[in-house]
Amino acid sequence: MTTSVQEIDGKLVAKLCGELDTAAAPETEQALQPLLESGGKDIIIDCTELDYIASSGLRILLGIRKKATELGSRVVLKNVGDAVRDVLDLTGFISIFEFE
Amino acid sequence: MKTVRSNWLSRLGIVVIAALLVAAISVVQYQRLRSIMDKERDIRSHMVLRALSNRIIGVLDLAEATMDENLLYLKRSLDNPDSVFKAMEYLIDDNPHILGGCIAFIPYYYPSKGRLFEPYAVKEGGAILTRQIGDAEHDYTSNRFFIRALETGKADWSDPYVYGADSTWNLTTYSYPITDDRGRIIAVCGLDIDLSWMGEMLNATQHFASSFGLILTEDGTLVAGPPPSRASAGCVEKAMALLREGQGDSSDGELAVRSIRMDRDPNWQIVQVYKTDEVFADMHRIRRQQLFLILLALAILFFMIQRYARNERKLREATAEQARIGAELSVAGKIQQEMLPKAFPDHLYGTVEPAREVGGDLFDFYRRDGKLFFCIGDVSGKGVPAAMLMSVIHSLFRMVSMREGSPARILRALNDQICTGNDSNMFVTFFTGCLDMYSGRLRYANAGHDKPFLLTDTATLLPAKSNMPLGAFPGTEFEEQVCDLAPGDGLFLYTDGLTEAKNPGHENFGRKRVQDALEACLAAPGMTPESSIRALSQAARRFAGVEPQSDDLTMLLIRFIPGDLVRDRITLDCDTKDVSRLSGFVKTYLDKLEMDRKTAGGLRLALEETVVNVMNYAYPAGEAGSVTVYADSNRKEVRFTVVDNGIPFDPTTVLSADTTLDVQNRPIGGLGILLTRKLMDAVSYAREQDRNVLTLTKSII
Repeated sequence: MTTSVQEIDGKLVAKLCGELDTAAAPETEQALQPLLESGGKDIIIDCTELDYIASSGLRILLGIRKKATELGSRVVLKNVGDAVRDVLDLTGFISIFEFE
Repeated sequence: MKTVRSNWLSRLGIVVIAALLVAAISVVQYQRLRSIMDKERDIRSHMVLRALSNRIIGVLDLAEATMDENLLYLKRSLDNPDSVFKAMEYLIDDNPHILGGCIAFIPYYYPSKGRLFEPYAVKEGGAILTRQIGDAEHDYTSNRFFIRALETGKADWSDPYVYGADSTWNLTTYSYPITDDRGRIIAVCGLDIDLSWMGEMLNATQHFASSFGLILTEDGTLVAGPPPSRASAGCVEKAMALLREGQGDSSDGELAVRSIRMDRDPNWQIVQVYKTDEVFADMHRIRRQQLFLILLALAILFFMIQRYARNERKLREATAEQARIGAELSVAGKIQQEMLPKAFPDHLYGTVEPAREVGGDLFDFYRRDGKLFFCIGDVSGKGVPAAMLMSVIHSLFRMVSMREGSPARILRALNDQICTGNDSNMFVTFFTGCLDMYSGRLRYANAGHDKPFLLTDTATLLPAKSNMPLGAFPGTEFEEQVCDLAPGDGLFLYTDGLTEAKNPGHENFGRKRVQDALEACLAAPGMTPESSIRALSQAARRFAGVEPQSDDLTMLLIRFIPGDLVRDRITLDCDTKDVSRLSGFVKTYLDKLEMDRKTAGGLRLALEETVVNVMNYAYPAGEAGSVTVYADSNRKEVRFTVVDNGIPFDPTTVLSADTTLDVQNRPIGGLGILLTRKLMDAVSYAREQDRNVLTLTKSII
């Protein structure tokens, strides 16, 4: 599991690669810390290479989404694959994120 | 109510018609009887009258004969006027009916005796006195009997008359002209005949209390009649008027008269008078009695019809009720049959053959967590009560075994339920087991039921402890036993309807024959559980022959056919970091099953969420421990069993996260169990031997 965060065109773009299971969750959460300090910038989470997500991963996404709402910024999930989309669907997360 | 009333009226109608019929018959009968009685009475009357007439004629004839017999002697005595007295004395002495007699000579017949000479003899005080009574005072030449005899020259009877100072004599006088040698009438002999006996005789022969006799002269003068004590003067007068009108036999409503004439000189009429009432008095009395009896009979008839109708209605209602109960029983039987499993997998088959419409036997099976839960039971008694308890137990078994995987604890729960309020003291022999369809481990517990047969190469009895039947004592503990089946092994369960099937010689089918039949099935190639059970049923039926099935017969045959198994296991440290090892394990395992990525991803996620939950909650912070995951599949179903030694923790009771709330209110927890539930077909928890056992199953066909 590799995670990277970059600022592109005034937006924070996070790229998640691999499988976000419970074991990988702590370090991923750590890596995504900048997103919680976005300062009102919109957030794009690129899921192109995210193959798997467990509930611990969903919790990280929910934390980011809650913080962003407080700061008035958008959170967009980009290129979500079927496997991850199914999980988001099952948990009702599909209604609280924007997708690209 | 309306029908009841109209039925009542129609029955009353029957009785009324019967009454009318009887009345009509009675009237016809009465008329006939009356005419028969009339005829009979006429015959009787005429017999009586004829007898009376003959009697009177007899007396008259006798008087005439007395005259004839004494005539010669009398004529001879005429030579001497004084000897005539003697002749008259003889004459009247000859006939007891003759009161007296005279012989009146024509004037100057005996010049010595003057113009009138009439010697007279009379019976007085037992002696016969004679005297000459003809004198100027008693000038017989002007007497009717004398004149007539001279004129006609014939003997003649006078009309009866009353004579004597006290009018006690009732007489008639027979006048007989006496001629001399040249045929000249020289005297008239008169004999006074006593008639006072006639009245007595007339009324002595009456056969009715109020009937009486009359004797009338030809011109209708009364000769003899009843004493006033027998009939009033008015009544006699009325009868005579009736006689005059009717010229003989006639009757009005009150009186009837019957008469005959003597048809000789004197031609008197002898009459019998009846009061019509009295003649038919007996008949009227009989009629009244008859009427009373008929009314009584009709009342009884009505009562009986009522009774009969009521009984018939009751019978009809009972029959309808029976038909209704029969129909309901047959529906109940159908419902019962439908409650039993009908769809059987290849490795299992069962039947119930109830002895009656509804039975007290049951069997059931279902699969949960990759295990086959099954049971067989026999409620004591038969019929509806047994059937009702059977239904209750069937439901209880399903309910209890859904959340309880231990056969012994299933029995205990069932027993406690059945004992509650079991006032009718019914009990159930019951056997339940749980066969792990991957490991072949059979856990079972018995409550007084017949030991099942374990089917390997041979059929042997499963070593099952008997224990108490269900419903006997509350709080009974049941021992749980374990037996490992090898693939292909089986279990045959039955109720005593099989072993106790009787032949006409009252011999039991018995366990040995069951065993033989089972071994025959095991030896035969290609036998399925279904064909084996059919063979056993046929064997039992052949054995019983014509003997009817007396008890419910239930059989259940289970074979352990695990199929192509893929099994693996992993033990993890209680640390979420170790989840990455689990990910590897799952991926490798699911690859063996060659399933699509999406399903595989779902299974992996569900297992990961479950294991993480266990790690987080079964072992409170910092406590070391391990979690073992068993993965089993027969390529139709995947089962994950997660076992840990931690504190009791049942994640299935944790509430799932609410997926409808808005962002700010979305909870962080509850997502794991939500995902597990959605991704798996079934998730169940059991605490077994101080271990938490979570079972996750999913069909992958």
